[in-house]
Amino acid sequence: MTPALLAVKSLTVRFSGLVAVDNVSMSIPERQIQGLIGPNGAGKTTLFNAITGLVRQDSGQIRFDGVEITAMPPHRRAAAGMRRTFQAVQLIPQFTTLENVLIGLHAAPHTSELAAQRAVVEVLEFLGIGPTLLRPVAELSFAEQRLVEIARAIVARPQLLLLDEPAAGLSAREVATLDALLRRFVTDWGITILLVEHVLSLVLEVSDAVTVLDNGRLIAEGSPRQIANDKRVKAAYLGEEAHA
Amino acid sequence: MSLTTLVVAGLANGSLYALVALGLVLIFKTQDVVNFAHGEILMVGAFIGFTAFDRLALPYPLAFVIAVLLGGVLGAVVERTAFRRLAHEQHITLAMVTVGLSFFLKGAVRLPYGGDIYTFPPAFGAAGPLVFGDAIIAPQNLLTIGVALALSVLMFLFFGFTSLGKQMRATQQNMTGARIVGIDTGRVFSVTWSLAAAIGAGAGVLAAPISLLYPDMGTGFLLKGFAAAVLGGFESIPGAVIGGFIVGIIEMLFGGYISTAFQQVSAFVIIIIVLFVRPYGLLGRKPLHRV
Amino acid sequence: MTAIRSPWLRAVAALVFWAALCMVPLATDSYLQYVINLVLVYAIIGIGLNFLMGYAGQFAFAHAALMGIGAYTTAVLATRFGVSYWVCLPLSGIVAAVVGSVGTLPAMRMKRVYLALVTLAFAELIVWVLINWKQVTLGTDGVSIGAPELFGWRVKGDKNVYYVVLTCTAAMYWLARRILESRLGRAFVAIRENEIVAQCSGISIARTKFAVFAISAFYAGIGGSLYALTLGFIVPESFNLFQLVIHFSIVVLGGMMSLYGAVIGAVLLTTLPELLRDFQALQEMTYGAVLLAVIVFLPSGVAGVLKRYGLLPREVLARGWRALERNHTASAVLPDRAGGRR
Repeated sequence: MTPALLAVKSLTVRFSGLVAVDNVSMSIPERQIQGLIGPNGAGKTTLFNAITGLVRQDSGQIRFDGVEITAMPPHRRAAAGMRRTFQAVQLIPQFTTLENVLIGLHAAPHTSELAAQRAVVEVLEFLGIGPTLLRPVAELSFAEQRLVEIARAIVARPQLLLLDEPAAGLSAREVATLDALLRRFVTDWGITILLVEHVLSLVLEVSDAVTVLDNGRLIAEGSPRQIANDKRVKAAYLGEEAHA
Repeated sequence: MSLTTLVVAGLANGSLYALVALGLVLIFKTQDVVNFAHGEILMVGAFIGFTAFDRLALPYPLAFVIAVLLGGVLGAVVERTAFRRLAHEQHITLAMVTVGLSFFLKGAVRLPYGGDIYTFPPAFGAAGPLVFGDAIIAPQNLLTIGVALALSVLMFLFFGFTSLGKQMRATQQNMTGARIVGIDTGRVFSVTWSLAAAIGAGAGVLAAPISLLYPDMGTGFLLKGFAAAVLGGFESIPGAVIGGFIVGIIEMLFGGYISTAFQQVSAFVIIIIVLFVRPYGLLGRKPLHRV
Repeated sequence: MTAIRSPWLRAVAALVFWAALCMVPLATDSYLQYVINLVLVYAIIGIGLNFLMGYAGQFAFAHAALMGIGAYTTAVLATRFGVSYWVCLPLSGIVAAVVGSVGTLPAMRMKRVYLALVTLAFAELIVWVLINWKQVTLGTDGVSIGAPELFGWRVKGDKNVYYVVLTCTAAMYWLARRILESRLGRAFVAIRENEIVAQCSGISIARTKFAVFAISAFYAGIGGSLYALTLGFIVPESFNLFQLVIHFSIVVLGGMMSLYGAVIGAVLLTTLPELLRDFQALQEMTYGAVLLAVIVFLPSGVAGVLKRYGLLPREVLARGWRALERNHTASAVLPDRAGGRR
């Protein structure tokens, strides 16, 4: 059995009485794309925030690459090889693409400015947005901005990449491109991915395994096909639709 | 000087600090910004009162009212011309505007009055001090304490129970949300600034007989008002008042039992200690760790 | 200058520029030279404050007091303890850096509101110490600074002081460029814009804040030391809030997130106190009005406007980015790489 890159054990997060994440355990082996789905308010983003250290858990443990990181502050987790993107694209508007992505290399072991800039160029070419290098990000299209944020997250070759709804607002064609890119992150750069997504087609298409949350609780785990046919999952989403 | 006298004097000064703190908390509660010009507004109020009372020989209550009204107008004007345009900017921008305003006001008062130090004759003329046991209390001090308490109670009721007060709180928590719900945030801001400036100017007229009048007097009051507000937890009106009294008393005790030089820095010491030990003050709430 | 393509032409332009700067004292009288010296000193001060407020977005009020610490460190050590000025100068920067970073350490974790006011209180405290610690600072009597010596060259008079100040300003400017065009400089902006993103990218907010406070204070200290040298005589009241509003105005008018802006602001605003020298009231009103007007109508400052009309080059926080731009636009798509991890 391959050792888990990320192991979350019995994680619970409460916000003034409300239980956002309820005793969730999951483990992700290396070089896998793990999908995380669930209706709105299921606790997916909170789980992300707990894993990356932005939110403190009330109980439970997190192990990353064999190291207990439960008490580690967010910037140390990032330096240890865990990066993420955000639901709403968070770039520095006055900066160019180059400067924004260079931020991703802040914690990288000491490289020269020149080497860092070369790494940025490489990652941008890999994502197909090379020409945006010196343009202010405020001028870029929405899809380009999303890719710049992803570039910032992967430029330091993280071990684990957490993507928070990367397909939101993208056209069908852009989603397909993203799909292919995610696969290449794993095969070409050896990155493990934890993917939160509402666009179910993308998740089921690209994931190796899927975890389903509802009301903070883990209600199902398995292969995409198993999940697609799981009654509890359907009920959870239907429940959402019924209340919508 | 007996302890009681010191304490009462401390209460009197403290009520001034409480008023300053009130003005700071008001603006902070609505716009989430610290008004660095608040000390200067107090100073302007004091000089307006001085001009009216000493130069134009108007009666003290009238001088007070004039200062308060003009203060309110000043606040509304500042809000309309500078702040309205900047409501969406970063805090640093807004704060910088208040810094600019503070210097502008200082210079504007220094122009006619120069760097001289003036004294303000007391409101009750030659009325002697009242004696309670071994405590000697000047009537001016009693007036100050009384006005401060009355205003604080009014503010507290206003914020807690009137619809405008609730609108102001809503605007501070979420300006866009408040707009969506139909609150006229422009009016809220105008009222806030007018009120805060009016209180500040009024505090200035009350301060004038107790303190010395000079264009640079504002900073000291700003810092002490801030110490009071911090002590009370920056978002609490009763806290600001209690904080003001405490600062006033501690300052008097420092001055009475240690030295007058030390009295000047007592506010700083309080600020630093409070922020170290209990950053959300005596009555403030522990901030939620939101992500 | 950096917009010129040919490296030869750039070198010649640089040479001409520096030669012209060195010859300035030939064209000035003592008073004008003094003003120019002051401009250079305020350029350093402005750059220092720009790090803190412009790039890192930390609203702090201690800059003038830290300048005072630098000035007094130099004045006291040089005049009363006979320490060589050339030692005092860097020491002033270091002392100010230590005070400015360690002293504000508790305030750094607090809400923005508190940072501003705590640093204000801190600044007032420092001035109070400078006034009242008479045994060391001579209080309001002030301290004078004698002319330093360098290998037999006596730095006396404004024209000689000019060369010292010019060299320091040039060095501090170069240093600032290096800092800004590095990961530290970008981290400054990151913590201003979005602390969450900064953290999730591996930036330690605490360490970055500490660094920017220390660096900013270092510049204030050096500026203070040179200020003492330029004026020849300092008093504690020079470093109060009035001094601070000059600093704020320089940074705001010049342009907040711009190194050029600090220099521009210094040039524009240093001359003002000299013109209005005996009218503090008018100076205060002018600085106050400048601050208000610029923020409301011209938030990116003069530098921002000049950049928008192409009169000032872009400032990208990546060293050698122009070379990158030249090479990058010429290159084709890089071949795909099937590299392993790290």
